[in-house]
Amino acid sequence: MGWLASVLYPVGRYLTPLPETGPTGPVNLTRGEIGKLEQDGFVIVPVVGKRVLVLEDSEGDIRALSARCTHEGCTVQYVADDSLIWCACHNAKFDLEGGVISGPPPKPLPRFYGERRDDGSVVINVVEQA
Amino acid sequence: MSNDTKSPLLSWLDERYQVSPLIEFLRHKEVPIGAHSMAWYFLGGATLFFFMVQIVTGVLLLMYYQPGEATSWESLRYIMTKVPFGWLVRSFHCWSAHLMIICLVAHMFSTMLLKAYRPPRELTWVTGYVLFAVALGFGFSGYLLPWNELSYFATVVGTDSVKSVPVVGNWLLEVMRGGPDVTINTLYRFFALHVIILPLACFALVGIHLLFIQRQGMAAPVGECHAPRGMKFFPSFAVRDLLLWLACLFLLVALSTVAPYGPNIPGMEWELGSKANPLAPAYPGIKPEWYFLWIYQLLKEFPPHLLGLEGPQLCLLLVSVLMGAWAAVPWMDRQARRNQPSPGFSDFGFAAILFISYLTLKAWDIGAVGNDVDAPASVASVARTCAWWELGLGGAIIAIRYTVYEHRWFLFSGAALLHAGLHGLAGIGYLAAGLVAMLPVVAGVVMIYRAQSRGEETAGA
Ligand code: FES
Repeated sequence: MGWLASVLYPVGRYLTPLPETGPTGPVNLTRGEIGKLEQDGFVIVPVVGKRVLVLEDSEGDIRALSARCTHEGCTVQYVADDSLIWCACHNAKFDLEGGVISGPPPKPLPRFYGERRDDGSVVINVVEQA
Repeated sequence: MSNDTKSPLLSWLDERYQVSPLIEFLRHKEVPIGAHSMAWYFLGGATLFFFMVQIVTGVLLLMYYQPGEATSWESLRYIMTKVPFGWLVRSFHCWSAHLMIICLVAHMFSTMLLKAYRPPRELTWVTGYVLFAVALGFGFSGYLLPWNELSYFATVVGTDSVKSVPVVGNWLLEVMRGGPDVTINTLYRFFALHVIILPLACFALVGIHLLFIQRQGMAAPVGECHAPRGMKFFPSFAVRDLLLWLACLFLLVALSTVAPYGPNIPGMEWELGSKANPLAPAYPGIKPEWYFLWIYQLLKEFPPHLLGLEGPQLCLLLVSVLMGAWAAVPWMDRQARRNQPSPGFSDFGFAAILFISYLTLKAWDIGAVGNDVDAPASVASVARTCAWWELGLGGAIIAIRYTVYEHRWFLFSGAALLHAGLHGLAGIGYLAAGLVAMLPVVAGVVMIYRAQSRGEETAGA
């Protein structure tokens, strides 16, 4: 038993991925990402191993939410015409607060902090909002 | 075999390795000929043939394929567009993978329906079952290797359900993906699984499976301890097996050249498409390989929450129970253990085919109307159209079983058809329809069990 544990433990630890590293505080979108945000109304950016959906709503406010659908993990997108977030995999719809409107996802999308500064830069922070 | 009739080579080998007993064993080995068709006995051999093609073409692909963020998709494109006959090697690899799974499924169901799992062959069934799981693992891990959009999202969806495993689900998901999300680290892990771990496991399991079959021989038909007639394994059966392998090779060549990118059926296509971009939104119509479609569709039938659990969790639980029951069939089928016909288990096998086929038909969106296949009108139309297909298929199977094989036990397959009818034609929700269809099954099984117990008591008295 002890022999088995002494083999399995290091193997288990070896296979367990290390936590993602990167800036834990607020991050600025790059110029390219801001260009895409302005062109498409949304952009998906990687932050500390998370896919984050950054969108500009009809009022011009910046919103940041997890881009990972809570159903089976597909990447969601912003549909500006209907003012909602859509997951194409199983046709789920979320409101801009992340709440589920329809479809199979069991939980809302986690929300993050996002803001456009006076200098035009866009900053997001992946510490989850209440 | 006397020494003077042996060829010099054989004598030479025999002196050193004592091969005579083995040759004697093979010389006397027979394949039972029963009331059923011999064709079923060849499915395992055909599966083995396609597996060997997998190994050969896999090694050839490895000569050029380079796993990596900037190389996986590119090296595969290079194989398909620049390397002479690279497209053919890949087409062979993909087609033989699908044909192997088709033969494996047919082999498994034939074993189930002919009750070849009954004692003393329970462990042959179990090793075959694990081999089937390994084959699915091959399909799943290989799907990601081209690193294209479809394979990326199919892997995202496919791996995500692992988190529903109680207690260790999230840890298992991270170990599988090499991180919280599907990234190139996932591809490295899947690559190791696909080209090293699973082939080694497969070699070992195929060896054990074949050893069991050689030791115990092929199962005789139910009710016959020793088959009335037998066919010599050498040369009669072996030559037939060889001819079948030749036919399989011709089929493979024909399919690979006529449709090098697959038959264009969802879940059975391998166009390279666009390179995976983890930061691009998913698009509609992402589906796994055809043999996972029934689970994919079942996941869609579950609501977000049910019985205090999340829908995917409950779905995974149901699939695990069904798979567990399938593995335990040799121990559950008590009549077959006594070498008596067990029509209930035969019908259970047919019901499993109907259950899986209805979900697969639905996953193919047969009968969809308009562009939005997830619109309520389209969903209802798909359920209805597939229910008609299912009733047609099920009706034909039952008619053949009734007239040709004189089967009289249709409780499970009847329930599977009732399920499809209630859902597709009467518009009842999939799960609710399933519950209603289960009621007559439960009542019927209880009545039969009671009648049997009474019969045994009377016989005992
Ligand atoms: S993964 Fe988003 S709805 Fe299924």
